[in-house]
Amino acid sequence: MVDQEPSVISRRRTLGGALAGGAAFAAGGLLNGCATRGDVRRRDTADPWRRFAGCTLNFVSENTAPTSAIAADAERFTALTGIHVNIVTLELSALVQKVALDLASGQSQYQIIYADSYQVLAPYADGLVDLREPASDDSLPGDDSDLADFFPLQMDVSGRFGRGDRVLALPYDCATMIWQYREDLFEAHHERMANDLGFDPTPGPQRSWEEYYRIAEWFNDNVDEVSYGTGHQAKQHDSLMCDFSNVLFAHGGQYFENGEHIGRFGAVDPGPSTLGSEEALAGAEFYRRLLSVADPASTTWDWTGLGAAFAAGRVAMCPNWHEFAADNERSLPGRVGYTTLPSGPAKSANMYGGAGIAINGNTAPNERDAAWLFLKWATSRKTQLRNLTGEVGGATPTRSSIYRAPEIRRAQQRPTGMPTMLTAPAVQQAWKPEYSGLRPKIPMWNECDTAIYTELSRMLAGDAAPRRAMRDARDHIDRIVSRGWVAAE
Amino acid sequence: MSVLDTPNPRRAESAGQQEAVEQERRHASTKRSPREGSRSSPLDRTGTGTRVVILVVLGLALLWTLVPLVWMVLSSFKPATAITSAEPSWLFTPTGEHYAGLFTGGNELIPYLWHSVAAAGLSAVLSVVLGAPAGYGLARSEMRGKRHLSFWIISTRMAPIAAVVLPLFLMFRQLGLIDTIPGLVLAYMTFNLPFAIWLLSSFFSDLPPALEESALVEGCTRWQAFRHVALPLTKPGLVTTFVLCLVFAWNDYAFALVFSGPDSQTLPIAASQLVTQAGIDWGQLCAIGTFVVVPMMLAGLAVRRWLVTGLTLGAVTGE
Amino acid sequence: MSTSEDVREPVRRRRKGAAPRRVGFTGRMMLPGIVPLAALTVLPFLTIVVMSFSDVRLLGGMRLDFAGLKNWGRFFTDPEMGWFWLRTAGYFALTLGLEMVLGVVLALCVWRLVRGRNLVLSLLLLPMFVAPVIVGLLGRFLTDPTFGLYTWLLERVGYDGDLLGGTFTAFAAVVAMDVWEWTPLIALITLAGLSAVPPTLREAAALDGAGRWQTLRHIVLPSISNVLLVALLIRAMDAIRYFDIIWVTTNGGPANATKIVPVRLYETAFRFFDFGYAAVVGLAMLFASIVVARLFVRMLDRKGLAR
Repeated sequence: MVDQEPSVISRRRTLGGALAGGAAFAAGGLLNGCATRGDVRRRDTADPWRRFAGCTLNFVSENTAPTSAIAADAERFTALTGIHVNIVTLELSALVQKVALDLASGQSQYQIIYADSYQVLAPYADGLVDLREPASDDSLPGDDSDLADFFPLQMDVSGRFGRGDRVLALPYDCATMIWQYREDLFEAHHERMANDLGFDPTPGPQRSWEEYYRIAEWFNDNVDEVSYGTGHQAKQHDSLMCDFSNVLFAHGGQYFENGEHIGRFGAVDPGPSTLGSEEALAGAEFYRRLLSVADPASTTWDWTGLGAAFAAGRVAMCPNWHEFAADNERSLPGRVGYTTLPSGPAKSANMYGGAGIAINGNTAPNERDAAWLFLKWATSRKTQLRNLTGEVGGATPTRSSIYRAPEIRRAQQRPTGMPTMLTAPAVQQAWKPEYSGLRPKIPMWNECDTAIYTELSRMLAGDAAPRRAMRDARDHIDRIVSRGWVAAE
Repeated sequence: MSVLDTPNPRRAESAGQQEAVEQERRHASTKRSPREGSRSSPLDRTGTGTRVVILVVLGLALLWTLVPLVWMVLSSFKPATAITSAEPSWLFTPTGEHYAGLFTGGNELIPYLWHSVAAAGLSAVLSVVLGAPAGYGLARSEMRGKRHLSFWIISTRMAPIAAVVLPLFLMFRQLGLIDTIPGLVLAYMTFNLPFAIWLLSSFFSDLPPALEESALVEGCTRWQAFRHVALPLTKPGLVTTFVLCLVFAWNDYAFALVFSGPDSQTLPIAASQLVTQAGIDWGQLCAIGTFVVVPMMLAGLAVRRWLVTGLTLGAVTGE
Repeated sequence: MSTSEDVREPVRRRRKGAAPRRVGFTGRMMLPGIVPLAALTVLPFLTIVVMSFSDVRLLGGMRLDFAGLKNWGRFFTDPEMGWFWLRTAGYFALTLGLEMVLGVVLALCVWRLVRGRNLVLSLLLLPMFVAPVIVGLLGRFLTDPTFGLYTWLLERVGYDGDLLGGTFTAFAAVVAMDVWEWTPLIALITLAGLSAVPPTLREAAALDGAGRWQTLRHIVLPSISNVLLVALLIRAMDAIRYFDIIWVTTNGGPANATKIVPVRLYETAFRFFDFGYAAVVGLAMLFASIVVARLFVRMLDRKGLAR
């Protein structure tokens, strides 16, 4: 494209004033009219990977760890297949906007899509390719059974939607919220804490949220190395819903009846909200209490802000996405521990926030197969291993077999070259259904999410009591859900 | 300084001599430079007390204005640890790593820069090229409903971005303009063209028609009168319009986000891409911010003198 | 409709004989600008109007299914909408008001400066050339609770809350950022007006024995009132549209404290993909901005500006 543009300019310069406007339209149309792609060519080669050599694919992704690693490595894919891949990385809301517009145009500027489970997969499930087709195509490399290597929970949450066995995306990203704490401080003060609090403070799912609260308070009062015991991601943002959900689920609350099923498999019509329940209220009340002893800056932090604050040594512990382990290890080498979150009366819930990689349903058949090659390569064992260990690195594998490899097992102990693997025991536990925390996978989730974090934010700001906040959130969700999902009916 | 010699303008106007006064004032205002202006400011009567107040106000204003910018530029040369340290650090070993980082690795900045230059530049040029005749036509037109036309032109600039984006997107997709520089240029025209027409029409309205009429008498066509008489006289207006359109387009984020793609992303998009799940790279962000901001500041300051006369839309002489 | 036209005869309408030819020429001059503008705006506008009466389906190419007055009905019964508009009006009045007052004060100060006037003016102007996205991100950088420069400064003077965390302070912060960016524009325009105040006027006032304040109040300010209106109009046009700063700083939070209608519109369209409803909100916004702009234009007209 870089060599195309100068000609556009010189062309522009020659256009006289009066005609310029009309001509701009026409020139734009002509220039790109021919670029309105037909399908790519399929070659007959012996190497199944090189069938589509010479074509170009566009991949739009959120700017997450696996994509940074893959972008740094994309030349390998080009060497393997002869396919060139343009990678556009965007912040999540910008990504969702691009994907929706692309689907709305009935074409596919982006053949390969980073499919966030809640903002892309659920709303636009019918706009994505069922991957079982290319997976079972004998002329393409790889086979169906390979899909079984992904963690089952991740496969369901990130890859499927609604009834049936359709596979709409392959697990690609698997951020999970866990308990991150200053191991050094917990060790140094262990005795005193145990005496003062009357229980063993060692973090883990055997701790209750109530104990977490007391530990946080204890740090506030007794330890000078950190300003506060706990920090949270309680900005009016998606992060607030995530942070709250861990507490809500732990207390037995749910957003909808049958919430765990809706979280795992998804539904278009989830029915009435259950946020008005006593369990949900107990969760909300506890959450507000927890935030009252947390670092007051918590209400300005999303996960990023919280991650930075924790790494800067402001707080002694926090629930946050496991991927921040890399930053932690850089700023506080050897001083951070990871485990699953505390339990409430119901369970220990650890928010899973993974995403898949999918193919736009508007792609032409050969393009689709070429895109499948990329999916296949990007989620392959080799690539994931390289993404974990490589120079850019830090991406967490979604294939279970990788965690059984001896070098990965070794990397879970310090000293390690793969800091995210320090979280491996915790996240692997968090991917078991009994430890998982799953928000509802419904197409209108984004709007419900906004209603929830807005009410929560109001509650934390002192504008609404927990009961009122939960009731208002419930009413709001019911209104949203009753309107149905218009955009993709 | 002929303005000093004119009789009281109010009286002149009431006597029905608008034409002459306006012409004379225009003459004065095109020649007016800030330095001359300062001579006419009433400092002779400013007491020391007032002067101190003025200096204090300006000092505070300068602090308020400059601290964020200076801090951004400083931070762009700081090592990462100095940026995120709780105590602000004023002394540090400067590093070029953030700037270096912008030009290496996955998202290299050069194409973004090029897209920004091409899209913003072309849209500003086109806005002026199309806006000048249209503004002239509007200023000189005597059609009925001219006011409605001119109000419609302003109102197109007020269209709420998020609502118009979907129809525009589908239109552009039909024309194959998505993710192209021409597409971006057209998108920017939705807000630059009305602004250019509006601004330039006020410049042309300020020109006394007598000049063009005498050109007509001498045998010029109307186009020639526009081209050789009116246009050269509004050079400050053309430059002001160009620069403002350039700034608007260069700084745009909302449209670029929708209409650009891998082949046409602009600098503000690059800046927003530094906000990632894993954190914000503030060093690079400050570097990129410096990069986005400096050219526009230079362009703006280069035409500052004309901006002053240009942006009043003739309200100065209209009184 | 034609009343506003008749208010004042255009100054330059003199020779009747030349009129028919002129219309043809001026019309031809306008076409190349007006036609593309119409193409870029009329079609989308009509589409939005149709969308506001439809369910907008995105998948597999956009489709519009007639939905009657559903979206409009929702707009007028939405319990939250009133608050968004109220907040928007507050935000609008506060930013514009502060920018006008500060802009005029700055302009007056610069105007009275003898030495270094150009330098001071140039420095003061810088913020208006900064991209709003950068302003927002810079604002976040400066108010970051862990390492922000302004956070640190506020701590020195005894405030240790978090600017973007509290409802009131967050609102104040986004207003401050907007004021930071756009006060220079107002100052610039005002200064242009001030430089054109004929010295004779002030001299006359001085002869009458008017004090400085009285001169300012009764002579200077009235004679730049047109310029101030133009400044208000230019700024108002963009103030309703732009939301980049809020979008990158608070996203409308906390507790909706900074969620003004443009933010709500963007969210409805591009986070909830409810384009039918977004069309309604967008049209309402357009209507509101046209009313405001009309108001200012009327005031300008009444002052005798035939534009």
